[in-house]
Formats: sequence, structure tokens, C-alpha cells
Amino acid sequence: MDYTISSVAPIVLLPFFAFVINAFLARKGGKATIAAVFLSCAAIAGSSVYAFRIFKDFVWGNYATNYHIHKFFTWFDLNGGGQEFTVNMGIYIDNMAAVMLLMVTVVATMIHIFSTYYMKDDMHYGRNGRFFVYMSLFTSAMLGLVLSDNLFSVFIFWELMGFCSYSLIGFYYEKEKTGNANVKAFMTTRVGDVFFLLGIVAIWTAIGSVGFVDIYNAVDSGLFTSTKVLGMPLATFAGLCIFMGTIGKSAQFPLNVWLPDAMNGPTPCSALIHAATMVAAGVYLSLRIYPLLEVGELTTFVAYIGGITAFGAATIALVQTDFKAVLAFSTISQLGYMVLGVGVGSYNAAFMHLITHAIFKACLFLSAGSVIHSLHDHHTHQHVQEMPRMGGLRHKMKYTWIAMWCCTLAIAGIPFFSGFVSKDRILGDALVAATHNPVMAVPAALGFLGALLTAFYMCRMMFLAFHGEPRDKEVYDHTHEEKLSWNRNAPLLFLSIFTLGVWFSGSLTGQGLVKVADYKNGKYEWFQTLIEAPKKGNFENYKREAFGNTDSRVKDSFEMTKYDKQHGLSEAEYHHVHKWHVIGAIASIIIAFSGVFIAAMMYLWKKWDPGFWVKTFNRYYRTLQNKYYMDELYIKGMIQGMLLPFNNLLAKLDMGIYDRFVVDGSAVATKFVMKIANWFDNLFVDTIMVDGTGASVKFFNLVLRTFQSGKIQFYFIMIILVLFGYILAL
Amino acid sequence: MFLKIMFVLSALLTLGGAFLTASSKNLMHACVYLLACLFGVAGLYATLGADFLAAAQLVVYAGGVVILMLFAIMLTGGVQEFVNKFGLDKTPSMGSGKTYTIAGLSMIVTAFIVMKILAPVFKTPAQTDLPAFTSTVEKLGVLLVTDHVLAFEISSILLLGALVGAAVISRPRRGK
Amino acid sequence: MISLNGYLIISFCLFLAGMTVMIARKNIIAILLGVELILNAAALNFAAYTRFVNQNLDGHVMSLFIIVIAAAEAAVGLAIVIRFFQIKETIHIDDATELQS
Repeated sequence: MDYTISSVAPIVLLPFFAFVINAFLARKGGKATIAAVFLSCAAIAGSSVYAFRIFKDFVWGNYATNYHIHKFFTWFDLNGGGQEFTVNMGIYIDNMAAVMLLMVTVVATMIHIFSTYYMKDDMHYGRNGRFFVYMSLFTSAMLGLVLSDNLFSVFIFWELMGFCSYSLIGFYYEKEKTGNANVKAFMTTRVGDVFFLLGIVAIWTAIGSVGFVDIYNAVDSGLFTSTKVLGMPLATFAGLCIFMGTIGKSAQFPLNVWLPDAMNGPTPCSALIHAATMVAAGVYLSLRIYPLLEVGELTTFVAYIGGITAFGAATIALVQTDFKAVLAFSTISQLGYMVLGVGVGSYNAAFMHLITHAIFKACLFLSAGSVIHSLHDHHTHQHVQEMPRMGGLRHKMKYTWIAMWCCTLAIAGIPFFSGFVSKDRILGDALVAATHNPVMAVPAALGFLGALLTAFYMCRMMFLAFHGEPRDKEVYDHTHEEKLSWNRNAPLLFLSIFTLGVWFSGSLTGQGLVKVADYKNGKYEWFQTLIEAPKKGNFENYKREAFGNTDSRVKDSFEMTKYDKQHGLSEAEYHHVHKWHVIGAIASIIIAFSGVFIAAMMYLWKKWDPGFWVKTFNRYYRTLQNKYYMDELYIKGMIQGMLLPFNNLLAKLDMGIYDRFVVDGSAVATKFVMKIANWFDNLFVDTIMVDGTGASVKFFNLVLRTFQSGKIQFYFIMIILVLFGYILAL
Repeated sequence: MFLKIMFVLSALLTLGGAFLTASSKNLMHACVYLLACLFGVAGLYATLGADFLAAAQLVVYAGGVVILMLFAIMLTGGVQEFVNKFGLDKTPSMGSGKTYTIAGLSMIVTAFIVMKILAPVFKTPAQTDLPAFTSTVEKLGVLLVTDHVLAFEISSILLLGALVGAAVISRPRRGK
Repeated sequence: MISLNGYLIISFCLFLAGMTVMIARKNIIAILLGVELILNAAALNFAAYTRFVNQNLDGHVMSLFIIVIAAAEAAVGLAIVIRFFQIKETIHIDDATELQS
């Protein structure tokens, strides 16, 4: 297949054009809204066709690890004066990007189809169209990110996604809670983004390019270790900065607070954020810069972050009663597994978990949407999300029940399902890493404990919602019988097909025990064979070329990569690895089944009383319910303790030095004192009235209000001074 | 020789115009000095062989922007308050000794920054064999609709936006 | 005499003059004059680099876009100034502090 503008660009541009057109259509209401919805769905379906062509070329055609497509055009070229300054933009497709493209487009298509059902009620508010406008832009930005060949365009799409998630989380902006949630999501991810930008700048100054291929080559030539920034190798600095971006976007340990609040958006958008697009982008990025993390010796740090997130989020999920909150924390926990996989060097399993998780988590969220949408409280006219008011729903919603069980078994890591294949590989590799380096034993142990908890809380959720007797009879009786329909159950059932492990591993168990797809031509274990970390040999006879209407690429014939049972390891090493993988597999099977069993004993057969455990661990239970007090810590400690005094200092500098001493003399000084008193009053009152998250919005308002004195010329002078400092520092 | 005289004249016009723009006490005069400065820049473009740019500079700046500025000055001039809403003295609108002091300090700081950037550039040896002047109009036209077509289209939309925006912003409100 | 350095120094002086105007003046229109000076300094640099360094006309295109943007900026900026004057009956910059608190 030719890679030209007309065969690659539509993947990104179709949803983007849908966004542009819908931005005008959506406001009209009535038939125009229906047209907008249809257009969005058709656009994403169309781009999934294009993505499938690329996938087919990569996986059915050239079945080779060193097959890449890299095309670029010069964005601008300002060479001169002995300085090279050329910025290129382009596409870079390798096996990982091809798989990712197919996953994103297919999952997004399913979510779009489901959204036509879920957002039906919003139709007469005329905001159905607005929802699809953002969804199209969101998907388009994600696809652009996947296709990008350099960090700079990744950053552009990254920020676009940040904006879309902000708009989608705050979709029901008339509720105050929602408004707070989207500001929180935006601000928290922004912390990571600043570091990400810093990392990009550091790489740019060192190697003069931010293209992935250039970075890989520079890593190979040792440039990243010889250059020093702030006393550490550039690889460590840049890797750390970019990984901070991942921490923000993928909601890893210190910055995980935004994801649970992102639940306030409509459920399909949660599915999109949690499964296919936003959080996946973070992990995808850290996989792309994997050589940097490896050279910078950051893997232990990454593994610890991943392990802590995987375990911590799983413990919080144990006590949640909100249907979607359980899923939100399970997302954070599963993302922790992916990052753990990156940290312990199991590149391919981390990516496989990204794909399998995207599929089953999208399905779980859509199922949750299907459940929530059909439960209705007739007193408050709200949808019911609380699990204590559900129960026994399997009689009413058969198809959702089936789909959701498939995904639950997958996420719990039961054999034959995809989650088992990928999670078990990550855990197996963590065990191997622990045998090489005892420090890694902690993340590995956290991973196994998290797996137990995952199986437990997911089954708890299923038992509480679908099994047993209905606890809220009124809600139950008002629920309609579920019928098979193209936009409600069909996407769920379609996605749940792909929760089977056989699609990804070629064998039923994922451990090569029961091979069903052992083709004669050796395409067994296609995922493990094709996806591998970028390494030296892969870029040797590799050409990049300009993007155009024709494909002038010399079609190099690539040798089909054979499945290597030993993964390129020596015999002794392979035996060691294999031994620990088997131990890991057995352990995770036992753990998964015991998790399910404990959940069943507690909530299905009611033999054990969950209340006993709550009483025994009362204090810990409280801590979990408050999510380890992280929100409070951020508001009280960080914002009020550190940022507010800093803000005051800046305000004093602004008003104090420029106005008071230099320009207006004593006259403004009077005004200044008056203002200080005014602020003090505001602050005092605000601090007293601080009330959970609401304060953060108030606070940012206050920051913006006091930070700007309104004097443009002062800002201009500040810019000059900052510039001066920057140039001096260089 | 002609080129050198042209360069010196244009440079003097530019620098003198810029200096007077910065120091004139009368806004109207400052605007006229800006016009002179822009003429000087057009002359400098001409000595660089940028014929189309020189023409565009004259047409757009001298013919458009400065005239627009003069009209704006005439529409808004005449009102000069010396006290603000708190009854305190205001800085004179054309600047006072204090503001010029601050500006001078900032100027020194900026000069440091720019000199630090320019120093390596000044050290590079001057290029001696420069190509002869040719007309740039055709090449520029081709460039605009091939390599830079996206920027070209975007700037056309920007101009349209500016046109509509200016009309909308300065339109008197209904009911007033 | 006619060398890259000469043009760079001229544009440097233009830039400093524009910055002085932007900081020292308190009249909004005068500040816009300063912005025009700074934009001209940048455009002059582009043209000079094109002549003396790489001779492809990309620099001219950049200068052209700068002129276009300056025109748009002047139009919108002056419209805002006039609107501001209609509302406040002053164009003193220190009165434009509505966003302050």
C-alpha cells in the first residue's frame, strides 16, 4: 500500500473536518443536530477504515519489526548566520502506531455509536451536537498524536486533548461540581505539561531536533549520556521531564487526583478519556521515549511510580459505592500496571496491556453508561449511580450483564481473557526484574497485591449491581427490560468479543499452552513478535522522505520476523526467565481466582460479613474513603501553604516596587495599603470558608484577580527582566 | 556609490525618525516622525534589493496604517485630564521624566540581552560577493502560492477577521 | 558599509526606540506607534538576512506577513482604542485597569 497524503491524512482529518462542520451545525438544533451526530459517527468510522488499511499492511503484509514509515515536510526553515533552525513535521508509523491507530479508531467508533443512545435525552436541550463536536476533535487529536513523528507535534495534540477533556468533563457546566472537576483536571494535567515542555526544550537544545528517530539515533550515539544538564545526564533530565507529562496525563501517583473527578462528564466521554484517548496517550508517550528512560536509568523510578499507583488506586476502589468511581479508580490502577510494565522493561506487555485495557475499559464504561442511563429516580429526576440502590439487575439487562462480565473477567486476570495475557506478562517481567535487582521486589509485590484487589473490587461491583435481590425496589421496577438495539448493546457485545485473550496471544491461555493460531507460516504470537522497543539495528537501512502525493519510497523487501521463543536471550537466561514467568502465571491465576472467591463469599453468598472488616480497619477505611486525603493535601498544603504566599509576594513586588517607589510615589502607596487590607480581608474570609474543592476554583479566581494589576507596561518590563535572566542563565 | 548614499540617507531617516518618535512631546508630531521612519525603512528595503517589500511598506504603512493612526488621534484628541478618578495626579500622557528613566533602564537591560545574542553574529566574516539585484516580485508570488500557501490563506482570513472585528468593535452600540 | 552588521544595528536601534515608546508613553495610540517600530525592526532583520545570508526569498515572505499582521493589528487596535474612548472618554493607559479586580 502507498503511503501518501490521501491514504494517511484522512485518519486525522476526517474527524477534524467533522469537528469544523459540526461546530457550525451543532448550534442550529433540530435536524441539523441529527446531521451533526451522523457526520461525527461517519467520520470516525471512515477513519477506522483507513486505519484498518494501515494495520493490514503492517500485520498481514510486511510482518517485520524493522518496518517503519517516516514521512515529513519542512514546516519552516530559517537557517542562516551559522545557525541551523529547521522544524519538520511528519508522520511516523511503526507496528506500535499501526496497532494503536486501529484500536483508537475502532474503540472511538463504538463509543460514538453508543453516544447516540446515551445522549438522546440531551437532544431537546440542543447540546447533543456540542457533545459530538468535542468528541470528534478529541479523537482527531489523539489520532494525530499517534501519527506524530516528533515530540513537538505530540505536544500540540497533547494540549488539544487537554482542552477537549476540559470541555467534555465540564459538559454539564450548569452543575457546580462539574465546573470544579474540569478546572481540576485541566490544572492538574497542566503541572505535568509544563515539565513535558521543559523536556522538549532540553532535547531540542542538545540535539537540534525533537523527532523520535533523531532521538533514538542520539541515544545510540551516546549524546544523551555525555551531555550534562544540572549535574545529571541529559537523558535523565529530559526523560524525567517527559515522564512527568505522562504522570499528569495518565494520572499516576502524585497527580492522580483529577481522574476520579473526571467522572462528572457524560459516561461515553469517560469511556473515551479512560480507554482510548487521553490516559492512553501518556503511556504511549512513555513507550515512545522508552530508550531515553532506559539510558537515563529512570526505570526503577518509573516502576515504583507504577507499582504505587497500581496498588494505591486499587485500595481506594475497594470502598467506593459509586458505580463509575470504581471504574475510575480501576483505570488509575491499570494505568499503574502499564507504567510498571514500562519500568520493568516489558515494553511489549505494557503496550499490550494498553490495548487490551482500552478495549475492556471502554466496554466497561459503556456498560456502566447503559446501566446508569436506564436507572432513573423519579423523585429527583436524576440517574442512579449508587451501587447500594442497584442489585438484581441481571434480570432486566441481560446483554449488558454478559458484556460486563466478560470485561470484568478480563480486568480481573482470569485465564482465557485478554487482561490475563497482558497483566500476567507485566507481572512475570516484574518478577524477573526483581530477581535481577532486589529493589524491584517492592513494585512487583505491589503489582501482585493490586491484582488481588482488582479481582476483588471488580467482582464486588458486579455482585452488588447485577446479582442478589434488588435493594431499591422502586428504581428496579421502573427499569425497562433491555432489548437488543444497534446503538445500545451492539457496541458492548462487539467490544466484549475482543476481551478474549486469543486475539492477542494466539493461544488460549496466553502462555503458549493451548495454541489455537499456530499457523504454518509462523505468525503465532503476532503481538509479541511485532512490537519491540526501538533498538539500534532497526534504523540502519531506513530512509525518511518527503510527504507528497506520490509514494516514491523504494519498497524495501523486509524479511518476515519469525517468532523467537527465547526472545533473543541465551539458553541459561531463557530458562531463568521462563521459570519465573511460570511462577508468576501460577501466582496470578491463584490470586485472580481468590479475589473472585472472596468477593463472592462476601457479596454473592453473604457468608462473610464485609461490615466486620470495615469495623476492624475503621481508620484505614476512612482514609480510603477520603482517597488518602490527597485532595486535602493539595489544597491545604500546596495551594494555601506555598502558592498563596508566593502569589502575595509577587503582588507586593508588582504594586510595591514599580508603583510605589518608582512611578507614582506616595499617592499609589495609599491605594496599595488599602488594597493590601482588601486582600487580607478576602484571604481571611476565603480561608475560613474553604470548603473542599470549591475553594480551589475560588482560589484560582483570586490568583488571577490579584496577580494582574492591569498595568500593561509593567508586564512588559517584567517580560524583559525574565528574558534577561534567561539569557544570562544560558 | 548610489547605493551607499541611498543607504546612508535611509539609515539617517530611519534612526532620526525613530528617535524623534520616541522623544517628541506632541503625539501628532510623533506620528509624522513615525511616517518618516517608515519611509526610511522602505529605503533600506530598496537597498536590500527587496523591491516588492519596499513598495508594500510604502503602500501599507505610509498609505494605510499611519493615516489610520492620524485619524484615530484626531478622533480621540483634545481631552486631557490631569487627575484620575481618585483625584490623584496622573502621569502626563506623553510621558514624564520618571517614565523615561524607567524606559532608559529597560533599554540598557535589553541592549545587554540583544548584544549578547548579536555578538557571535557580528564576529562572522562579512559576505563579499553578493548577487546582483533582480526583481523579486515573480519569485515572491510563486512562493506565496506554493510553499507558503497555508500561511497566505490564514493571513487572508486574519485580515478579513480584523476588518470585521474593527467594524464590530468601533460600531456605536444600539440604543445609545 | 552596507553589510549585515549595519542593518542589524539599525534594526536594533529601531527596536530600542520602539521599546522606549512602549514603556515611557502613557497614551495608548503612542504605545501602538512603538509596536509598529518594533515590528518594523523584525521585518528589516528578515530582509537583511535574506540578502546577506541565504538568498532564498523565505525571509521576504516573512517580512510581508509581518506587514500584513501589523496592518491587521493597527486596524483592530485602533478600533479598540476608539471604543475605549467612547466609553471612558480618555485614552490614558493607566485608566485601562478594568481587569484588575
